[in-house]
Amino acid sequence: MSDITTFRSATEETPLARRVLIGIAAGGLGLLVFAPLIVVFAAALQQGLAAAIASLGNQDALSAIKLTLIITAISLPLNAAFGIASAWFITKFDFRGKAFLITLIDLPFSVSPVVAGLCIILMFGTNSLVGGWLVASGYPIVFALPGIVLATMFVTFPFVARELIPVMIEQGRTEEEAALTLGASGWRVFLTVTLPNIRWALLYGVLLCNARAMGEFGAVAVVSGKIRGQTATMPITIEMLYNEYLSVAAFSMAAVLALLALVTLLLKTALELRLADQLSASNRH
Amino acid sequence: MNKPLIHRSPMPGLGLSMGITITMLSLVVLLPISALLLKGATFGLDNIWETVNRERVWAALYLSFRLSLFAALFNLVFGVILAWVLVRYRFPGRRILDAAVDLPFALPTAVAGIALTALYAPNGVFGSIAKELGFKIAYTQWGIFIALIFVGLPFVTRTVQPVVQEIEHEVEEASATLGASRAHTIRRVIIPMLMPAALTGFALALARAVGEYGSVIFIAGNIPLKTEIAPLLIVIQLEEFNYDAASAIGIAMLLISFAMLLVINLIQVWSRRRIGYV
Repeated sequence: MSDITTFRSATEETPLARRVLIGIAAGGLGLLVFAPLIVVFAAALQQGLAAAIASLGNQDALSAIKLTLIITAISLPLNAAFGIASAWFITKFDFRGKAFLITLIDLPFSVSPVVAGLCIILMFGTNSLVGGWLVASGYPIVFALPGIVLATMFVTFPFVARELIPVMIEQGRTEEEAALTLGASGWRVFLTVTLPNIRWALLYGVLLCNARAMGEFGAVAVVSGKIRGQTATMPITIEMLYNEYLSVAAFSMAAVLALLALVTLLLKTALELRLADQLSASNRH
Repeated sequence: MNKPLIHRSPMPGLGLSMGITITMLSLVVLLPISALLLKGATFGLDNIWETVNRERVWAALYLSFRLSLFAALFNLVFGVILAWVLVRYRFPGRRILDAAVDLPFALPTAVAGIALTALYAPNGVFGSIAKELGFKIAYTQWGIFIALIFVGLPFVTRTVQPVVQEIEHEVEEASATLGASRAHTIRRVIIPMLMPAALTGFALALARAVGEYGSVIFIAGNIPLKTEIAPLLIVIQLEEFNYDAASAIGIAMLLISFAMLLVINLIQVWSRRRIGYV
Protein backbone atom coordinates (compact mmCIF):
# COMPACT_ATOMS: atom_id res chain seq x y z
CA MET A 1 0.00 0.00 0.00
CA SER A 2 1.77 3.13 -1.17
CA ASP A 3 -0.92 5.69 -0.59
CA ILE A 4 0.64 9.15 -0.87
CA THR A 5 -1.71 10.65 1.74
CA THR A 6 -0.32 8.42 4.49
CA PHE A 7 3.25 9.48 3.79
CA ARG A 8 4.81 11.30 6.71
CA SER A 9 8.15 13.05 6.76
CA ALA A 10 10.57 11.83 9.41
CA THR A 11 10.79 15.37 10.74
CA GLU A 12 7.11 15.66 11.52
CA GLU A 13 4.95 14.41 14.35
CA THR A 14 2.20 11.85 13.74
CA PRO A 15 -1.19 13.37 12.88
CA LEU A 16 -2.51 12.15 16.21
CA ALA A 17 0.29 13.88 18.13
CA ARG A 18 -0.37 17.06 16.17
CA ARG A 19 -4.04 16.98 17.00
CA VAL A 20 -3.36 16.36 20.68
CA LEU A 21 -0.84 19.24 20.85
CA ILE A 22 -3.15 21.65 19.02
CA GLY A 23 -5.95 20.53 21.36
CA ILE A 24 -3.82 21.24 24.44
CA ALA A 25 -2.87 24.69 23.09
CA ALA A 26 -6.41 25.70 22.12
CA GLY A 27 -8.00 24.16 25.21
CA GLY A 28 -5.51 25.75 27.59
CA LEU A 29 -5.90 29.19 26.04
CA GLY A 30 -9.68 28.75 25.99
CA LEU A 31 -9.86 27.99 29.71
CA LEU A 32 -7.22 30.48 30.82
CA VAL A 33 -7.61 33.41 28.44
CA PHE A 34 -10.83 33.38 26.41
CA ALA A 35 -13.15 32.33 29.24
CA PRO A 36 -12.18 35.21 31.59
CA LEU A 37 -12.51 37.67 28.71
CA ILE A 38 -16.01 36.47 27.85
CA VAL A 39 -17.03 36.55 31.52
CA VAL A 40 -16.08 40.24 31.82
CA PHE A 41 -18.48 41.22 29.04
CA ALA A 42 -21.21 38.78 30.11
CA ALA A 43 -21.16 40.10 33.68
CA ALA A 44 -21.16 43.72 32.52
CA LEU A 45 -24.21 43.10 30.31
CA GLN A 46 -26.16 40.90 32.73
CA GLN A 47 -28.74 43.68 33.22
CA GLY A 48 -28.55 44.98 29.68
CA LEU A 49 -26.42 47.47 27.85
CA ALA A 50 -28.33 50.47 29.23
CA ALA A 51 -27.55 49.52 32.85
CA ALA A 52 -23.89 48.99 32.00
CA ILE A 53 -23.57 52.39 30.32
CA ALA A 54 -25.53 54.12 33.09
CA SER A 55 -23.12 52.74 35.71
CA LEU A 56 -20.26 54.46 33.91
CA GLY A 57 -22.05 57.81 33.91
CA ASN A 58 -21.88 58.71 37.59
CA GLN A 59 -19.47 61.24 39.06
CA ASP A 60 -17.01 58.78 40.64
CA ALA A 61 -16.75 56.63 37.52
CA LEU A 62 -16.18 59.64 35.29
CA SER A 63 -13.52 61.09 37.58
CA ALA A 64 -11.75 57.69 37.65
CA ILE A 65 -11.72 57.56 33.85
CA LYS A 66 -10.44 61.14 33.70
CA LEU A 67 -7.71 60.46 36.28
CA THR A 68 -6.50 57.35 34.44
CA LEU A 69 -6.33 59.32 31.17
CA ILE A 70 -4.38 62.17 32.83
CA ILE A 71 -1.88 59.76 34.42
CA THR A 72 -1.32 57.99 31.14
CA ALA A 73 -0.97 61.28 29.27
CA ILE A 74 1.80 62.37 31.65
CA SER A 75 3.71 59.12 32.16
CA LEU A 76 3.64 57.87 28.57
CA PRO A 77 5.57 60.75 26.87
CA LEU A 78 8.07 60.84 29.74
CA ASN A 79 8.77 57.11 29.44
CA ALA A 80 8.93 57.35 25.65
CA ALA A 81 11.51 60.16 25.97
CA PHE A 82 13.50 58.05 28.43
CA GLY A 83 13.28 55.03 26.14
CA ILE A 84 14.58 56.96 23.13
CA ALA A 85 17.35 58.71 25.09
CA SER A 86 18.57 55.54 26.81
CA ALA A 87 18.43 53.48 23.60
CA TRP A 88 20.44 56.21 21.81
CA PHE A 89 22.98 56.36 24.64
CA ILE A 90 23.32 52.56 24.80
CA THR A 91 23.45 51.80 21.07
CA LYS A 92 25.35 54.82 19.67
CA PHE A 93 28.18 54.97 22.19
CA ASP A 94 30.68 52.51 23.67
CA PHE A 95 31.28 52.75 27.36
CA ARG A 96 32.11 50.61 30.35
CA GLY A 97 29.25 49.20 32.43
CA LYS A 98 26.78 49.02 29.56
CA ALA A 99 25.45 45.61 30.61
CA PHE A 100 25.05 46.88 34.17
CA LEU A 101 23.07 49.89 32.94
CA ILE A 102 20.73 47.63 30.96
CA THR A 103 20.23 45.49 34.07
CA LEU A 104 19.31 48.59 36.07
CA ILE A 105 16.79 49.66 33.41
CA ASP A 106 15.21 46.18 33.54
CA LEU A 107 15.09 46.21 37.34
CA PRO A 108 11.40 47.25 37.60
CA PHE A 109 10.41 43.95 35.93
CA SER A 110 11.77 41.93 38.84
CA VAL A 111 10.40 44.18 41.59
CA SER A 112 6.86 43.56 42.83
CA PRO A 113 4.55 46.54 42.04
CA VAL A 114 3.62 46.58 45.72
CA VAL A 115 7.31 46.90 46.67
CA ALA A 116 7.63 49.65 44.03
CA GLY A 117 4.81 51.54 45.72
CA LEU A 118 6.45 50.98 49.10
CA CYS A 119 9.74 52.42 47.77
CA ILE A 120 7.96 55.56 46.55
CA ILE A 121 6.22 56.02 49.92
CA LEU A 122 9.57 55.66 51.73
CA MET A 123 11.16 58.17 49.36
CA PHE A 124 8.42 60.79 49.17
CA GLY A 125 6.01 60.03 52.07
CA THR A 126 5.39 62.61 54.81
CA ASN A 127 7.82 60.78 57.14
CA SER A 128 10.73 61.03 54.72
CA LEU A 129 13.17 63.90 54.45
CA VAL A 130 12.27 64.87 50.88
CA GLY A 131 8.56 64.16 51.30
CA GLY A 132 8.23 66.12 54.54
CA TRP A 133 9.75 69.17 52.92
CA LEU A 134 7.56 68.82 49.80
CA VAL A 135 4.37 68.45 51.87
CA ALA A 136 5.36 71.50 53.96
CA SER A 137 5.81 73.49 50.75
CA GLY A 138 2.38 72.38 49.56
CA TYR A 139 3.40 69.73 47.03
CA PRO A 140 2.39 66.35 48.41
CA ILE A 141 3.59 63.41 46.27
CA VAL A 142 2.14 60.38 48.04
CA PHE A 143 -1.66 60.05 48.13
CA ALA A 144 -1.76 62.57 45.27
CA LEU A 145 -1.34 62.70 41.48
CA PRO A 146 2.51 62.94 41.35
CA GLY A 147 2.86 59.75 43.42
CA ILE A 148 0.51 57.82 41.13
CA VAL A 149 2.42 59.09 38.08
CA LEU A 150 5.74 58.04 39.64
CA ALA A 151 4.37 54.59 40.53
CA THR A 152 3.03 54.15 36.99
CA MET A 153 6.34 55.27 35.50
CA PHE A 154 8.25 52.84 37.73
CA VAL A 155 6.31 49.76 36.61
CA THR A 156 6.31 50.73 32.91
CA PHE A 157 9.87 52.09 32.89
CA PRO A 158 11.69 49.45 30.75
CA PHE A 159 9.03 48.93 28.04
CA VAL A 160 10.09 51.44 25.37
CA ALA A 161 13.85 51.03 25.88
CA ARG A 162 13.54 47.23 25.65
CA GLU A 163 11.80 47.44 22.28
CA LEU A 164 14.15 50.07 20.83
CA ILE A 165 17.55 48.69 21.86
CA PRO A 166 17.47 45.45 19.77
CA VAL A 167 16.17 47.28 16.68
CA MET A 168 18.80 50.02 16.97
CA ILE A 169 21.58 47.46 17.47
CA GLU A 170 20.39 45.60 14.38
CA GLN A 171 20.43 48.77 12.30
CA GLY A 172 23.89 49.84 13.38
CA ARG A 173 25.39 53.31 13.08
CA THR A 174 26.39 53.52 9.42
CA GLU A 175 23.34 55.44 8.19
CA GLU A 176 23.72 58.06 10.93
CA GLU A 177 27.46 58.32 10.25
CA ALA A 178 26.79 58.90 6.55
CA ALA A 179 24.32 61.68 7.37
CA LEU A 180 26.83 63.30 9.72
CA THR A 181 29.57 63.19 7.09
CA LEU A 182 27.22 64.96 4.72
CA GLY A 183 26.92 67.75 7.27
CA ALA A 184 23.54 67.09 8.92
CA SER A 185 23.07 68.37 12.46
CA GLY A 186 22.50 65.96 15.35
CA TRP A 187 18.77 66.63 15.58
CA ARG A 188 18.37 66.36 11.85
CA VAL A 189 20.11 62.96 11.87
CA PHE A 190 17.80 61.77 14.62
CA LEU A 191 14.59 63.08 13.03
CA THR A 192 15.26 62.12 9.40
CA VAL A 193 17.45 59.02 9.71
CA THR A 194 16.96 57.29 13.07
CA LEU A 195 13.30 58.03 13.82
CA PRO A 196 11.92 56.64 10.53
CA ASN A 197 13.93 53.46 11.16
CA ILE A 198 12.66 52.92 14.69
CA ARG A 199 9.11 54.26 14.41
CA TRP A 200 7.32 50.90 14.46
CA ALA A 201 9.37 49.59 17.36
CA LEU A 202 8.76 52.87 19.18
CA LEU A 203 5.02 52.62 18.60
CA TYR A 204 5.08 49.02 19.78
CA GLY A 205 6.86 49.92 23.02
CA VAL A 206 4.51 52.85 23.62
CA LEU A 207 1.53 50.55 23.05
CA LEU A 208 2.69 48.03 25.66
CA CYS A 209 3.55 50.87 28.01
CA ASN A 210 0.07 52.37 27.52
CA ALA A 211 -1.76 49.12 28.29
CA ARG A 212 0.21 48.62 31.47
CA ALA A 213 -0.06 52.28 32.53
CA MET A 214 -3.85 52.36 32.28
CA GLY A 215 -4.22 49.04 34.08
CA GLU A 216 -1.61 49.27 36.84
CA PHE A 217 -3.10 48.21 40.15
CA GLY A 218 -0.62 47.08 42.82
CA ALA A 219 1.75 50.05 42.84
CA VAL A 220 -1.08 52.57 42.46
CA ALA A 221 -3.14 50.90 45.21
CA VAL A 222 -0.26 51.48 47.61
CA VAL A 223 0.60 55.12 46.78
CA SER A 224 -2.81 56.52 45.89
CA GLY A 225 -4.53 56.22 49.27
CA LYS A 226 -7.66 55.23 47.26
CA ILE A 227 -9.54 58.49 47.82
CA ARG A 228 -12.82 58.23 45.92
CA GLY A 229 -13.24 60.91 43.28
CA GLN A 230 -9.67 62.14 43.81
CA THR A 231 -6.98 59.45 43.61
CA ALA A 232 -9.04 56.41 42.57
CA THR A 233 -7.98 55.32 39.09
CA MET A 234 -10.08 52.96 36.94
CA PRO A 235 -8.54 49.73 38.31
CA ILE A 236 -8.83 51.02 41.90
CA THR A 237 -12.48 51.93 41.27
CA ILE A 238 -13.10 48.40 39.95
CA GLU A 239 -11.82 47.01 43.25
CA MET A 240 -13.98 49.40 45.31
CA LEU A 241 -17.15 48.62 43.34
CA TYR A 242 -16.43 44.88 43.45
CA ASN A 243 -15.94 44.92 47.22
CA GLU A 244 -19.27 46.76 47.55
CA TYR A 245 -20.94 43.95 45.55
CA LEU A 246 -21.84 46.40 42.75
CA SER A 247 -21.18 43.71 40.19
CA VAL A 248 -22.60 45.41 37.08
CA ALA A 249 -20.74 48.66 37.77
CA ALA A 250 -17.46 46.84 38.53
CA PHE A 251 -17.63 44.66 35.43
CA SER A 252 -18.77 47.57 33.21
CA MET A 253 -15.64 49.50 34.06
CA ALA A 254 -13.64 46.28 33.68
CA ALA A 255 -15.21 45.83 30.23
CA VAL A 256 -13.99 49.29 29.19
CA LEU A 257 -10.43 48.30 30.13
CA ALA A 258 -10.89 44.88 28.47
CA LEU A 259 -11.98 46.61 25.24
CA LEU A 260 -8.83 48.70 25.47
CA ALA A 261 -6.81 45.50 25.89
CA LEU A 262 -8.44 44.02 22.77
CA VAL A 263 -7.66 47.15 20.75
CA THR A 264 -4.08 46.97 22.04
CA LEU A 265 -3.76 43.35 20.86
CA LEU A 266 -5.24 44.22 17.46
CA LEU A 267 -2.81 47.11 16.94
CA LYS A 268 0.03 44.98 18.26
CA THR A 269 -0.66 42.21 15.74
CA ALA A 270 -0.78 44.77 12.93
CA LEU A 271 2.46 46.35 14.13
CA GLU A 272 4.21 42.99 14.37
CA LEU A 273 3.52 42.37 10.68
CA ARG A 274 5.00 45.81 9.88
CA LEU A 275 7.98 45.20 12.13
CA ALA A 276 8.66 41.81 10.52
CA ASP A 277 8.52 43.42 7.05
CA GLN A 278 10.88 46.15 8.16
CA LEU A 279 13.38 43.76 9.73
CA SER A 280 13.43 41.49 6.69
CA ALA A 281 13.79 44.56 4.45
CA SER A 282 16.75 45.82 6.46
CA ASN A 283 18.34 42.36 6.32
CA ARG A 284 18.18 42.37 2.56
CA HIS A 285 20.74 45.07 1.94
CA MET B 1 44.29 46.80 28.67
CA ASN B 2 43.25 50.21 29.84
CA LYS B 3 39.81 50.81 28.38
CA PRO B 4 38.56 54.37 28.56
CA LEU B 5 35.28 54.91 30.42
CA ILE B 6 33.58 56.27 27.31
CA HIS B 7 35.07 55.87 23.83
CA ARG B 8 35.34 59.03 21.74
CA SER B 9 32.69 59.03 19.08
CA PRO B 10 31.53 61.39 16.33
CA MET B 11 27.90 60.63 17.22
CA PRO B 12 26.03 63.66 18.53
CA GLY B 13 23.91 63.79 21.66
CA LEU B 14 26.18 62.05 24.17
CA GLY B 15 25.61 64.58 26.94
CA LEU B 16 21.86 64.88 26.36
CA SER B 17 21.07 61.17 26.08
CA MET B 18 23.33 60.25 28.99
CA GLY B 19 21.88 63.06 31.09
CA ILE B 20 18.25 62.06 30.47
CA THR B 21 19.02 58.36 31.01
CA ILE B 22 20.83 58.79 34.28
CA THR B 23 18.57 61.51 35.71
CA MET B 24 15.32 59.67 35.00
CA LEU B 25 16.66 56.27 35.99
CA SER B 26 17.83 57.72 39.31
CA LEU B 27 14.65 59.65 40.02
CA VAL B 28 12.11 56.98 39.07
CA VAL B 29 13.89 53.72 39.95
CA LEU B 30 17.19 53.97 41.80
CA LEU B 31 16.39 56.59 44.47
CA PRO B 32 13.11 54.92 45.56
CA ILE B 33 14.82 51.51 45.73
CA SER B 34 17.72 52.93 47.74
CA ALA B 35 15.16 54.53 50.06
CA LEU B 36 13.93 50.99 50.79
CA LEU B 37 17.46 49.70 51.34
CA LEU B 38 18.28 52.70 53.55
CA LYS B 39 15.14 52.04 55.60
CA GLY B 40 16.28 48.44 55.99
CA ALA B 41 19.76 49.56 57.07
CA THR B 42 18.46 51.95 59.74
CA PHE B 43 15.87 49.43 60.93
CA GLY B 44 18.67 46.92 61.43
CA LEU B 45 19.25 43.32 60.46
CA ASP B 46 18.09 41.99 63.85
CA ASN B 47 14.81 43.89 63.65
CA ILE B 48 14.24 42.76 60.05
CA TRP B 49 14.79 39.15 61.12
CA GLU B 50 12.43 39.59 64.07
CA THR B 51 9.72 40.98 61.78
CA VAL B 52 10.10 38.29 59.16
CA ASN B 53 10.56 35.43 61.61
CA ARG B 54 6.88 35.14 62.50
CA GLU B 55 4.57 32.34 61.54
CA ARG B 56 2.25 34.54 59.47
CA VAL B 57 5.11 36.10 57.46
CA TRP B 58 6.83 32.76 56.83
CA ALA B 59 3.51 31.26 55.75
CA ALA B 60 2.93 34.12 53.29
CA LEU B 61 6.48 34.00 51.86
CA TYR B 62 6.37 30.20 51.56
CA LEU B 63 2.97 30.36 49.85
CA SER B 64 4.02 33.09 47.40
CA PHE B 65 7.28 31.48 46.34
CA ARG B 66 5.97 27.88 46.25
CA LEU B 67 2.88 28.67 44.17
CA SER B 68 4.87 31.00 41.88
CA LEU B 69 7.35 28.20 41.26
CA PHE B 70 4.57 25.71 40.43
CA ALA B 71 2.80 28.23 38.17
CA ALA B 72 6.06 29.06 36.37
CA LEU B 73 6.78 25.32 35.91
CA PHE B 74 3.30 24.82 34.45
CA ASN B 75 3.92 27.78 32.12
CA LEU B 76 7.31 26.36 31.15
CA VAL B 77 5.73 23.16 29.82
CA PHE B 78 2.58 24.75 28.41
CA GLY B 79 4.54 27.66 26.94
CA VAL B 80 6.93 25.38 25.02
CA ILE B 81 4.00 23.34 23.63
CA LEU B 82 2.20 26.56 22.67
CA ALA B 83 5.29 28.01 20.95
CA TRP B 84 5.79 24.76 19.02
CA VAL B 85 2.15 24.55 17.90
CA LEU B 86 1.99 28.23 16.89
CA VAL B 87 5.19 28.12 14.81
CA ARG B 88 5.13 24.62 13.31
CA TYR B 89 1.49 23.83 12.63
CA ARG B 90 -0.96 25.50 10.28
CA PHE B 91 -4.58 25.27 11.35
CA PRO B 92 -7.65 27.54 11.29
CA GLY B 93 -7.66 30.03 14.16
CA ARG B 94 -3.89 29.99 14.61
CA ARG B 95 -3.58 33.78 14.31
CA ILE B 96 -6.28 34.32 16.93
CA LEU B 97 -4.53 31.93 19.34
CA ASP B 98 -1.24 33.70 18.67
CA ALA B 99 -2.75 37.10 19.49
CA ALA B 100 -4.55 35.70 22.56
CA VAL B 101 -1.24 34.66 24.15
CA ASP B 102 -0.54 38.33 24.84
CA LEU B 103 -3.87 39.04 26.52
CA PRO B 104 -2.44 38.61 30.05
CA PHE B 105 0.02 41.43 29.22
CA ALA B 106 -2.71 43.72 27.91
CA LEU B 107 -5.53 42.99 30.35
CA PRO B 108 -5.24 44.96 33.63
CA THR B 109 -4.60 42.67 36.58
CA ALA B 110 -7.64 43.89 38.52
CA VAL B 111 -9.86 42.98 35.55
CA ALA B 112 -8.25 39.54 35.31
CA GLY B 113 -8.69 39.12 39.06
CA ILE B 114 -12.43 39.73 39.16
CA ALA B 115 -13.00 37.77 35.93
CA LEU B 116 -11.15 34.68 37.19
CA THR B 117 -12.98 34.93 40.52
CA ALA B 118 -16.34 35.13 38.72
CA LEU B 119 -15.42 32.00 36.72
CA TYR B 120 -13.98 29.86 39.50
CA ALA B 121 -16.16 30.93 42.48
CA PRO B 122 -18.59 28.21 43.64
CA ASN B 123 -21.43 29.97 41.75
CA GLY B 124 -19.32 30.59 38.63
CA VAL B 125 -19.28 28.58 35.39
CA PHE B 126 -16.20 26.47 36.18
CA GLY B 127 -16.53 26.79 39.95
CA SER B 128 -19.94 25.16 39.98
CA ILE B 129 -18.66 22.19 37.95
CA ALA B 130 -15.78 21.85 40.42
CA LYS B 131 -18.28 22.05 43.29
CA GLU B 132 -20.28 19.15 41.80
CA LEU B 133 -17.05 17.15 41.77
CA GLY B 134 -16.34 18.13 45.37
CA PHE B 135 -13.58 20.68 44.65
CA LYS B 136 -13.25 24.28 45.66
CA ILE B 137 -11.04 26.48 43.45
CA ALA B 138 -11.62 30.15 44.25
CA TYR B 139 -10.67 31.22 47.79
CA THR B 140 -8.19 28.32 48.03
CA GLN B 141 -4.56 27.90 46.95
CA TRP B 142 -5.83 26.46 43.65
CA GLY B 143 -7.36 29.85 42.86
CA ILE B 144 -4.03 31.61 43.50
CA PHE B 145 -2.29 29.00 41.33
CA ILE B 146 -4.65 29.70 38.40
CA ALA B 147 -4.23 33.49 38.73
CA LEU B 148 -0.43 33.11 38.76
CA ILE B 149 -0.54 30.88 35.66
CA PHE B 150 -2.61 33.58 33.93
CA VAL B 151 -0.17 36.44 34.60
CA GLY B 152 2.90 34.40 33.61
CA LEU B 153 1.38 32.74 30.54
CA PRO B 154 2.97 34.82 27.72
CA PHE B 155 6.59 34.83 28.91
CA VAL B 156 7.82 31.34 27.95
CA THR B 157 5.86 31.25 24.68
CA ARG B 158 7.22 34.62 23.58
CA THR B 159 10.85 33.79 24.37
CA VAL B 160 10.72 30.29 22.81
CA GLN B 161 8.80 31.18 19.61
CA PRO B 162 11.71 32.90 17.79
CA VAL B 163 14.03 29.99 18.67
CA VAL B 164 11.61 27.41 17.22
CA GLN B 165 11.46 29.57 14.10
CA GLU B 166 15.22 29.43 13.71
CA ILE B 167 15.71 25.67 14.16
CA GLU B 168 17.10 24.44 10.88
CA HIS B 169 15.36 21.47 9.35
CA GLU B 170 18.71 19.87 8.51
CA VAL B 171 19.34 19.23 12.19
CA GLU B 172 16.13 17.26 12.54
CA GLU B 173 16.78 15.49 9.24
CA ALA B 174 20.26 14.49 10.33
CA SER B 175 18.88 13.08 13.54
CA ALA B 176 16.22 11.11 11.62
CA THR B 177 18.76 9.82 9.09
CA LEU B 178 20.92 8.54 11.91
CA GLY B 179 17.99 6.42 13.00
CA ALA B 180 16.49 8.42 15.83
CA SER B 181 12.75 8.16 16.29
CA ARG B 182 10.76 11.41 16.26
CA ALA B 183 10.32 11.25 20.04
CA HIS B 184 14.06 10.68 20.47
CA THR B 185 14.86 13.67 18.21
CA ILE B 186 12.52 15.88 20.18
CA ARG B 187 13.96 14.79 23.51
CA ARG B 188 17.65 14.85 22.62
CA VAL B 189 17.89 17.48 19.88
CA ILE B 190 15.00 19.94 19.98
CA ILE B 191 14.30 20.32 23.70
CA PRO B 192 17.98 21.07 24.54
CA MET B 193 18.00 23.79 21.85
CA LEU B 194 14.90 25.41 23.30
CA MET B 195 16.02 25.15 26.93
CA PRO B 196 18.03 28.39 27.36
CA ALA B 197 15.22 30.54 25.92
CA ALA B 198 12.60 28.59 27.86
CA LEU B 199 14.52 29.19 31.08
CA THR B 200 14.67 32.92 30.37
CA GLY B 201 10.89 32.91 29.99
CA PHE B 202 10.57 30.77 33.11
CA ALA B 203 12.60 33.28 35.14
CA LEU B 204 10.50 36.20 33.89
CA ALA B 205 7.25 34.34 34.66
CA LEU B 206 8.54 33.44 38.11
CA ALA B 207 9.57 37.00 38.94
CA ARG B 208 6.22 38.28 37.74
CA ALA B 209 4.25 35.71 39.74
CA VAL B 210 6.13 36.33 42.98
CA GLY B 211 5.33 40.03 42.91
CA GLU B 212 1.79 39.73 41.54
CA TYR B 213 -0.92 41.40 43.57
CA GLY B 214 -3.91 42.62 41.54
CA SER B 215 -5.09 39.40 39.97
CA VAL B 216 -4.49 37.29 43.09
CA ILE B 217 -6.18 39.18 45.93
CA PHE B 218 -9.70 38.77 44.52
CA ILE B 219 -9.50 35.02 44.02
CA ALA B 220 -7.32 34.23 47.05
CA GLY B 221 -9.79 34.75 49.89
CA ASN B 222 -6.84 36.20 51.85
CA ILE B 223 -7.09 34.00 54.94
CA PRO B 224 -3.98 34.46 57.16
CA LEU B 225 -1.67 31.41 57.22
CA LYS B 226 -3.65 29.79 54.38
CA THR B 227 -4.21 32.01 51.33
CA GLU B 228 -2.40 35.22 52.22
CA ILE B 229 0.35 36.14 49.73
CA ALA B 230 3.48 38.12 50.67
CA PRO B 231 2.65 41.29 48.67
CA LEU B 232 -0.72 41.47 50.46
CA LEU B 233 1.07 41.33 53.81
CA ILE B 234 3.09 44.40 52.76
CA VAL B 235 -0.12 46.22 51.83
CA ILE B 236 -1.68 45.33 55.21
CA GLN B 237 1.38 46.70 57.06
CA LEU B 238 1.24 49.89 54.96
CA GLU B 239 -2.44 50.40 55.73
CA GLU B 240 -1.48 50.36 59.42
CA PHE B 241 1.34 52.83 58.61
CA ASN B 242 3.83 50.25 59.88
CA TYR B 243 6.57 51.21 57.40
CA ASP B 244 9.32 49.29 59.24
CA ALA B 245 7.52 45.95 59.01
CA ALA B 246 6.46 46.60 55.40
CA SER B 247 10.08 47.38 54.45
CA ALA B 248 11.37 44.28 56.24
CA ILE B 249 9.01 42.01 54.29
CA GLY B 250 9.76 43.92 51.06
CA ILE B 251 13.51 43.42 51.54
CA ALA B 252 13.01 39.72 52.34
CA MET B 253 11.04 39.34 49.10
CA LEU B 254 13.73 41.14 47.07
CA LEU B 255 16.48 38.96 48.55
CA ILE B 256 14.67 35.67 47.89
CA SER B 257 13.76 36.79 44.32
CA PHE B 258 17.35 37.71 43.49
CA ALA B 259 18.64 34.42 44.93
CA MET B 260 16.15 32.51 42.77
CA LEU B 261 17.03 34.46 39.63
CA LEU B 262 20.71 33.81 40.31
CA VAL B 263 20.11 30.05 40.50
CA ILE B 264 18.13 30.15 37.24
CA ASN B 265 20.96 32.10 35.59
CA LEU B 266 23.44 29.42 36.66
CA ILE B 267 21.20 26.65 35.28
CA GLN B 268 21.00 28.63 32.05
CA VAL B 269 24.76 28.95 31.74
CA TRP B 270 25.03 25.19 32.37
CA SER B 271 22.41 24.28 29.76
CA ARG B 272 24.04 26.59 27.18
CA ARG B 273 27.41 24.93 27.74
CA ARG B 274 25.85 21.49 27.44
CA ILE B 275 24.63 22.15 23.92
CA GLY B 276 27.92 23.63 22.85
CA TYR B 277 27.57 27.38 22.41
CA VAL B 278 28.13 30.05 24.99
